Amino acid sequence: MNKPLVKLNDVSTGYFSDTVLRNVNLEIHAKDFIGIIGPNGGGKTTLVKAILGLLPLFKGKITFPQGKVRMGYLPQISAIDKSFPITVKELVGSGLKAKNPWFPQLTREQKKQVSNLIAEAGLSSQSHKPIGELSGGQIQKAFLSRALINEPQLLILDEPNTFVDKGFEKELYQWLKVLNEKMAILLVSHDIGTITPLVKTIACVNVYLHYHPSNQLTEDLLKVYNCPVDIIAHGPVPHRVLKEHGL
Amino acid sequence: MSEIFTIMEYAFFRNAMAAAVLTSLLAAMVGTYIVSRKIVFISGGITHASFGGIGMAYFLGLNPLLGAAVFAVLTATGIEWVSQRGKVREDSAIAILWSLGMALGIIFVFMTPGYTPNLMSFLFGSILSVGRAELYMLLAFCLLAGVFFWLYLRPVVHTAFDPEFSKIMGLPVGFFRYTMSIIIALAIVISIRSVGIILVLSLFTIPQITAMLFTRNFAKIIPLAALFGVVGSLAGLFSSYFFDIPSGAAIIFFLTLQYLLVKLLVMVRDHLNRDKN
Repeated sequence: MNKPLVKLNDVSTGYFSDTVLRNVNLEIHAKDFIGIIGPNGGGKTTLVKAILGLLPLFKGKITFPQGKVRMGYLPQISAIDKSFPITVKELVGSGLKAKNPWFPQLTREQKKQVSNLIAEAGLSSQSHKPIGELSGGQIQKAFLSRALINEPQLLILDEPNTFVDKGFEKELYQWLKVLNEKMAILLVSHDIGTITPLVKTIACVNVYLHYHPSNQLTEDLLKVYNCPVDIIAHGPVPHRVLKEHGL
Repeated sequence: MSEIFTIMEYAFFRNAMAAAVLTSLLAAMVGTYIVSRKIVFISGGITHASFGGIGMAYFLGLNPLLGAAVFAVLTATGIEWVSQRGKVREDSAIAILWSLGMALGIIFVFMTPGYTPNLMSFLFGSILSVGRAELYMLLAFCLLAGVFFWLYLRPVVHTAFDPEFSKIMGLPVGFFRYTMSIIIALAIVISIRSVGIILVLSLFTIPQITAMLFTRNFAKIIPLAALFGVVGSLAGLFSSYFFDIPSGAAIIFFLTLQYLLVKLLVMVRDHLNRDKN
């Protein structure tokens, strides 16, 4: 088997003295599509932040066996100040590193790259608008573009399906399927029903992490995992309930 | 009209005009950051805490502006530190520093023997008595802040907007946040001379919200806020001379009046546009 992109080895982490996650083991391989589910406050976002290097590790370590990994990150939009005076162009461009840190301006090619991606996302006419004037779906597209501009090897999405309409959600999932051919994806969601047909594997996070190497989960198994989330089937979702299999 | 030219022959008035323009330019840059990051209350805390430094400097026989600068920088970096650690309720911490600074100032001034002549000018500003040395200091700091903003506007905006993402991008988030809090503290203290502790914050906010009636692009708010700041403070300065009213109060009054007029014009414009459609 190939070396993983990211390897979490017995990781415990959290905020200041609060340990939110304990003894987490997880490997993320190229082209993985992992759905992260779990109750509110269970540590889904904490896990993501630890992988991104934003939190100190109390125990264990996170390694990158293939070397440095380019990561794209879409934060929870509710944590973003949408009234901040920043335009779509500036936002997407903020996902690119300036070539010269002493004079951190984007080069002409980088600016071209930004406008190309904005066009691909269908936001060209919004390019000069501040993010506060966009719809929920457009904001997600703009932030997703920021995450993608760096051509990441691992794309991390924290609740991308909140504050958006169903039409956009469908479009997003189609987009993710195409992206997954090029990169690994980690998708955090409280809405397990919608994401299961999309993801390849599932990790249940509730202080501890249980990795489930398929996208089929039963309610009983969630109980075993101590992961109290509801399984809600949305309309004609391909749904197959498997027998409980050993841990 | 001729009277305007007559007063401009006086060096003190020319100094005051230069101070008004420079302070407005400085406030345009720093204030845009303050308003965008929604840290007006923090800036209020920094401003009032600096009064403690003024009182202490009086007591020790030092330059009051130096005392104010030390207190302001300590408060600003202290609040940034508290907010990055996220353990203490930030608003309560600010309120404590705000009133503690004022209290220390009052205690020190009370303990200082004799009369403290310039105390009122620190509270309410006295732009008409700005001297050449202060003007040079203002100019130097204005240039310094200008160069910093010109070179580093991108990381300054990005670390203000989304510090976590900036950290992932490898930006030195702490450096930019702390540098900006020091620039805010010093900009406020330098501007206290013109409009005073009680009014200084409006110079850092009213031109910005006026500019934001037209644009929500950080880089474009700055020049527009500079324009509104210069117009408003010069109008205030001239009327303070002709009507013999305190300069700081006159400047803030005109900045607010300007905001209301511009807001009214924008509303009329929008109304007419709506009718057209």
